[in-house]
Amino acid sequence: MLKVDNLNKTFHTAAGDVHAVRNVSFNADNGEMVAIIGASGSGKSTLLALLGLLDAPDKGSIDLDGVELANLDSGGRTKYRSSQVGFVFQQFNLIPNLSARENVLLALEYSHWPKADRARRADEMLALVGLDGEKSRRRPARLSGGEQQRVAIARAFAAQPQLILADEPTGSLDKSTGQKIVALLRSAASTQGATVLVVTHDEKVASQADRRLEIDDGVLAEIA
Amino acid sequence: MRSVGVVVILAVAIALSISMLIARDAVTTKINSVRASTGNTITVSPKGFYGYSGGGTPLTTAEVNDLLDLKNVTSVQESLSEELQSSQTSLKSPTPSGTLGGRFGNFGGGSGGSTGSDSSGTTFTIPVRIIGTNSPGNALVGGANGGGTEKLTSGTSFSPTSKSNVAIVGATMASKNKLKVGSTFTAYGKTVTVIGIYNSGSTFADSDVLMPLTSLQTLASASGQVTSATVVVNNVNNVTSVTKAINAKIGSKADVTSTEATTEAALAPLNSVKTISTYTLFGAVIGAAIILLLSMLMIVRERRREVGVLKALGAPNRSIIGQFIAESTTFTVLGAVVGFIIGAALSSPIASALVSSEGSTTPASGFVRGAGGFGGGGNGFTPPSGTRLPGGGLHATSVSNTLTTLHTSVGWSTLTYAFVFAVIIAALGSTVAAATIVRIRPAEVLRSE
Repeated sequence: MLKVDNLNKTFHTAAGDVHAVRNVSFNADNGEMVAIIGASGSGKSTLLALLGLLDAPDKGSIDLDGVELANLDSGGRTKYRSSQVGFVFQQFNLIPNLSARENVLLALEYSHWPKADRARRADEMLALVGLDGEKSRRRPARLSGGEQQRVAIARAFAAQPQLILADEPTGSLDKSTGQKIVALLRSAASTQGATVLVVTHDEKVASQADRRLEIDDGVLAEIA
Repeated sequence: MRSVGVVVILAVAIALSISMLIARDAVTTKINSVRASTGNTITVSPKGFYGYSGGGTPLTTAEVNDLLDLKNVTSVQESLSEELQSSQTSLKSPTPSGTLGGRFGNFGGGSGGSTGSDSSGTTFTIPVRIIGTNSPGNALVGGANGGGTEKLTSGTSFSPTSKSNVAIVGATMASKNKLKVGSTFTAYGKTVTVIGIYNSGSTFADSDVLMPLTSLQTLASASGQVTSATVVVNNVNNVTSVTKAINAKIGSKADVTSTEATTEAALAPLNSVKTISTYTLFGAVIGAAIILLLSMLMIVRERRREVGVLKALGAPNRSIIGQFIAESTTFTVLGAVVGFIIGAALSSPIASALVSSEGSTTPASGFVRGAGGFGGGGNGFTPPSGTRLPGGGLHATSVSNTLTTLHTSVGWSTLTYAFVFAVIIAALGSTVAAATIVRIRPAEVLRSE
């Protein structure tokens, strides 16, 4: 279970302080998919970076299954991120010179997944997203946008993380493919028992989530 | 394509480094070789002695032998030079009288030598030179005796301590007098047997006759007398101190001249090439490092997102840095292999071009007192080949002729240096990549979405 309490992040710029995240608090259960909606510059990406341990908050706590993450140092965040956090990006961000299967294997390597079981796990995850067989040996450039996002989902879930952060996962896909990807995320979340946070500005995507949160000027609020 | 470009540019820079390294090694070897064989001799002559024109009081064998006791002296080559008029020998000088002989000749007439006349009709004869030596094989070294190294073309030589009336004669002298091994000629009224014919590559020196020192001293009634001594020093760096020691010992009786300064002057072009190749070498290495450094900087910046993604996935900095170090090392190794092959192939022509260029701008000057004062003969001295030098610099000529002949080769030291340079280049290139990677924050990946 994810428990976020009174999270704050301020950037000090030449133009003045920017309060990107203000007193954000919310909970999300394992297997639950939560949508975070917000306009550009509302603080979505900053909140995602804090929750994904890519950045450290100024104040507040992030509790994931009883482990406090907000105060981890850089090394600790890297280690925890490799095993407990999965990312799905708008631009897929697959490593271009690796095949689909190698991209998934890379995540398993960083998470210190048992070496002997990595290949089986990679194949299992690729089969889960419908990319087993010949396509798993293709490099990203030879896959469609939807297929690349499927690989990204397989990569994000491969190490069985507790938290999946999806940043505009359908932003680069057509409507039909986008719906399939969201469905896949939802399915994987329940199958794997992971908490999925989807940042989106697409109401249709948000409507498929179990709960919806809206962030505006760094302040998060539940949408009924 | 970009990787190929980086490797090609690196290969060119490394090829230049390698060729400069090889050229520098070749020049250094040549300099050391010349110093070891040429610059380590000191010529000792009776004070006021002026070549074959004479002058001064001869040194004694005892005085010269004392020089062997000096520190760092490895050997002393003694010689007695005698000039025989036609009345003293059956030999005829092969040296033509020529214009200079006509102008300066003052040896008087006779039927045995090479004769000529000046504008007033005065006839003269070129004398025959006989050199007594205790160092057959090196008797000509030192310049005063003609320069070069005698090489037997037939017969045998004599022992350093021989007292027999035997001689080895220069090829030119032998040809002029139709001498061969076993032939005889007369000198000071005695019969001398030819036991060998030599060729030194110098027309001047090949006109000489070499005899055992003791034999000539006896024939010429010059027992114990020496007109020239060549002191061989163990290391060119000790020449100055030994010169001082000789001056302190017999400086009042002898003129002491070392070849050190003149050797350095003759080697100046090679030293210039060495300096140029050294600077170019470091310039090329630094250039290669900068090329790789900028290339890696460009590659890392272009792959900033990829680095951010890897960090987001949990990759530690060392893992990502290791990946880029592997890439820069691969570039360097490929560039080094191609560059080494090109550099090795180009090193010889580049070294030759550098030496030729320097040689043409810095003419070698004659060194070691030559056979100046010789009373005529020929139309001026012409060295065996190469540059005409003033002052009869025979020895200098033989050195300068070999300076432009460089042997380039790839040795273990070159390979070691090349490896070290490649490591330096790769390390510099990787350092920049590493520093840039460390600064990339994974959160930037999200912000740039």
